[in-house]
Amino acid sequence: MDEKDLRTIIEQVLSEMNVGGAAAPAVEAACAKACEASNIEDGCIPDITEVDIRTQYLVENPEHGEEYAELKFNAPCRLGIGKAGARYKTLPQLEFRAAHSAAQDAVFNDVDEDFVKSQNLFIVQTQCDCKDTYLTRPDLGRKLSPEAVATIKEKCKKNPTVQIYVSDGLSSASVAANIPDLLPAILQGLQNYKIDVGTPFFVKYGRVGVMDEISEVTGADVTCTLIGERPGLITAESMSAYIAYKATVGMPEARRTVVSNIHKAGTIPAEAGAHIADIIKIMLEKKASGTDLKL
Amino acid sequence: MHRGENAPVDSGCLFSGPITKGKRVNALHEVILSVGIDIGTSTTQLIFSRLTIENRASSYTVPRIQIVDKEVIYRSLIYFTPLKSNTEIDAEAVKKIVRDEYQAAGMTPEDVRTGAVIITGETARKENANEVLEALSDLAGDFVVATAGPDLESVLSARGAGADKLSHDHRTTVANLDVGGGTTNIAVYEKGTLRGVCCLDIGGRLIKVDKGRVTYLFPKIQALAKSHGIDLKVGDPAEEQKLRQICALMADQLAQSLHLKKMDGDHMGLYTNDGKPLPSEPEIRAITFSGGVADCVYQQMEDDYFRYGDIGVLLGQAIRSNPDLQTVQLFQAAETIRATVVGAGTHTTEVSGSTIHITEDRLPIKNIPILKVSEEDEASLETFRTSITSQMPLYKPEGKVEQIAIAFNGGTRTSFAEVQDLAAAIIDGAKEVIESSYPLILVVEADIGKVLGNAVNVLLDYKKDVICIDGIKTLSGDYVDIGEPVAEGHVVPVVIKTLIFNS
Repeated sequence: MDEKDLRTIIEQVLSEMNVGGAAAPAVEAACAKACEASNIEDGCIPDITEVDIRTQYLVENPEHGEEYAELKFNAPCRLGIGKAGARYKTLPQLEFRAAHSAAQDAVFNDVDEDFVKSQNLFIVQTQCDCKDTYLTRPDLGRKLSPEAVATIKEKCKKNPTVQIYVSDGLSSASVAANIPDLLPAILQGLQNYKIDVGTPFFVKYGRVGVMDEISEVTGADVTCTLIGERPGLITAESMSAYIAYKATVGMPEARRTVVSNIHKAGTIPAEAGAHIADIIKIMLEKKASGTDLKL
Repeated sequence: MHRGENAPVDSGCLFSGPITKGKRVNALHEVILSVGIDIGTSTTQLIFSRLTIENRASSYTVPRIQIVDKEVIYRSLIYFTPLKSNTEIDAEAVKKIVRDEYQAAGMTPEDVRTGAVIITGETARKENANEVLEALSDLAGDFVVATAGPDLESVLSARGAGADKLSHDHRTTVANLDVGGGTTNIAVYEKGTLRGVCCLDIGGRLIKVDKGRVTYLFPKIQALAKSHGIDLKVGDPAEEQKLRQICALMADQLAQSLHLKKMDGDHMGLYTNDGKPLPSEPEIRAITFSGGVADCVYQQMEDDYFRYGDIGVLLGQAIRSNPDLQTVQLFQAAETIRATVVGAGTHTTEVSGSTIHITEDRLPIKNIPILKVSEEDEASLETFRTSITSQMPLYKPEGKVEQIAIAFNGGTRTSFAEVQDLAAAIIDGAKEVIESSYPLILVVEADIGKVLGNAVNVLLDYKKDVICIDGIKTLSGDYVDIGEPVAEGHVVPVVIKTLIFNS
C-alpha cells in the first residue's frame, strides 16, 4: 500500500466519521505517522528457536528458583516458564508456536529429491499419490505401487543378507537431519562384520508396514527401515529404525525390533548406526526379531 | 522421548522380571560382587558389596546401563594393621586377615568381579607397601585394583560417608573430614560434584599413651604444641589438661583448613607431603566426620579417655567443641570408621557407556596410563595429532612404547564424517601403539565409542585389536582399569584412578 492509498483510506474514514474538510491537517499528520512507522530497521530479532528450554526459567520472585532451574535442566520440558495473568508469557507462547510449526512442516513437507539423490538412493513410491492420501489412508502407505515393485526388482541386488531403505514416514526433516550420519554408520558397522548388504533406496509416503512387502520383493533375510517419527514439540527430527528378520506381509507387529529417538539431542545418529549394525548381526545369528529376540 | 510412528507400547519389559523389595527391576539386570580392602594407619578392614547393574532405557531405545543400587552385604571385624616394624607391614598377617574374612563371608576370589585394595595414611609410606598391594590384589580377585594415595583416600572416605549424596540431596556444599590415626583426609562436594581435596597430618594416633605416659609423639604435632608454648616429649606423663590443649590446637587447624578461620603460621606445614590446601571456593556450609575419631565426635565418650592408647577420644571432643567448626551445619555420616573401606568397595567402579567397541579376549587390563588430549588440542585434527605424538615420549620410559590408553572428549566430532576424520588422526598420531603388540585403547567421554571403534577398525583393515569405550571422564595423569564385559556384553566395568589430583 503506498502513501496515496493510505491518504484515500484515512480521508474516507474521517469523512464517514463526519469530520469534514476541516480535518485535512489531521489527515496529513495521520498519514505521515503511518508511513514513518513502516520504516524498516537493520538488524535481527533473536531467533526464538535457538532458546534451550532446559535452561529457560522465567518464574518471577521464585521461592526456590535455583533448585527448580537445576531440576529443569534434566529434561526439555515446558515448566517453570512463568505466566502473565492466567496466560503464557509472550516468549514461551511464541516458542510453543514455533515448535508446533516445525512439527507441521516436518509432516507436510516433502524430502528434497536432490538430497535423496546425493545420498545415492533412488526413489520409489507407495500407493499414495499425495500427502493428503498418505495422511488419510495409512493402508495405502503400507503397499508399494506397481512401478515401485518393478523398479526395486530391476535395480536391487537379489536376496541380500540385509536390505536397508529410508522412508519419510511422518517427518521429512528427520531424513535430512539423520541419514548422512546414520546410514553410512550402519553400512560401516555391517562391513566390520562382513555382512552382505543390498542396494539401499528411498520410499516416498512410506509407513512402517511397507517393509514387509519390500522384504518379500527383495528376498532379504533382515530388512531395516529408517523412518521419520511423528514429530513432537521438543524435536521434529527424530528417527526410528524398524528391523525384522524375514518379514512377511501380515506378520504380527511384535516381530519388529525398534530403535527410536535417534537425533542429535537423543541417541546421536552415527552411534545409533553402529548399534543398529550390532542388532542386525545378533538377529542373523539368532534368526529372530521383535519380542522373539532378546537383545 | 518421542514414540515413533507405530511404536509398540511395550510395557512388558518394564514391568516383567523379578520384583525385589518393592523395587522395579528391569529384565536386564545383573548383580556383581565388589570387595573393598583398606589397610590404614591404625586399622585394616574389608567389606563386600553388591552392585546392581540395570538397563534404564526402554526396550525401544539404545540401552542405557547404569549401576542402580549399591549395598554392603558383609563387614569384616576391624583389625589393628599388623606391622613388623615401624617401617614394614606384616604382609603375611595381612594376607591371613583377608583370607580368614573371605572364608567367614563365604566368598572366593572367583566370586568377586571388581573392587579395590587401598593402602592409606601412614601405611602407604611403609617400605613394602607396594609389594603388599600386589600380593593382595591377586588374592582378592581378578579385577580388584590396587591403589594408594591421600587424594584418592579423601574421595573414597567422603563417598563412603555419604557427603556426596548429602550435598546433592540438600543442594549444599559438604566437606567430609575423615579423621584417622595418622591423617585427616578432607573432600568437598558441592551439589554432588567433587570440588577439592586435601590431607593434613592430624590424627588420633599421632600421640600414643601407655600406662600414663606419652610413648609416641609425631614431630609435626610436637612442633605445633611448642609454637603455642606447650612442651611435650616422649616419656612425659600423659596429663589430660595438656593433651586437651594440644587437641584443641589440632581442631583449630582443621577449622583453618576449611577456611572457617584465618590460617596461622603453623598451618601450611601440616599438609601431608607438602600438599595444597582446599580451594577457597565454594564456601563450605556443612560437614560430616568419618574415620576412627568420628565416633568420638558424634558421641559423648565418658570415663577412660585413653582406652585406645591414644588421644582419639580427646581429639574427637576437641573437634566437637571447636567454636569455628560449629558455625556450619553438622550432618550424620552414613559410615564413620568404615567410610574408606565402603568407599573403596562400592564407589571405585563405574560402567562404560552402553554402545562401545571392545576386543573381549584382551580384557581385563589394569593400570594403563592415560594419554589425554586436552580440549584445546581437540580444536583441530592437526593439534589433536601433535598432542598425541608430543606426549608419546612420556610414556616410553625405556625408549619403547608401553601400553597406554588415549583419552579425549570427542563431543565436537559426532557426525559420521567427523568420526572418520578423527579415526584417521588417531591412527596417524598413535602409529607407535599400532605397530606394537598392545591393543589400541581409546577412552572417550562423548557417546561415539562404537562408531569410532568401527571406523578405526575399518581403517586398520581389521588387523589390530581395538578397544574403544565411551561415557568415561578422565584427567591427564590418571590410570585406567577395564574389566571383562557385564550386562550381556553391553558395558565394561571401569575404574579410573586419579593419583595426583592435588599436585
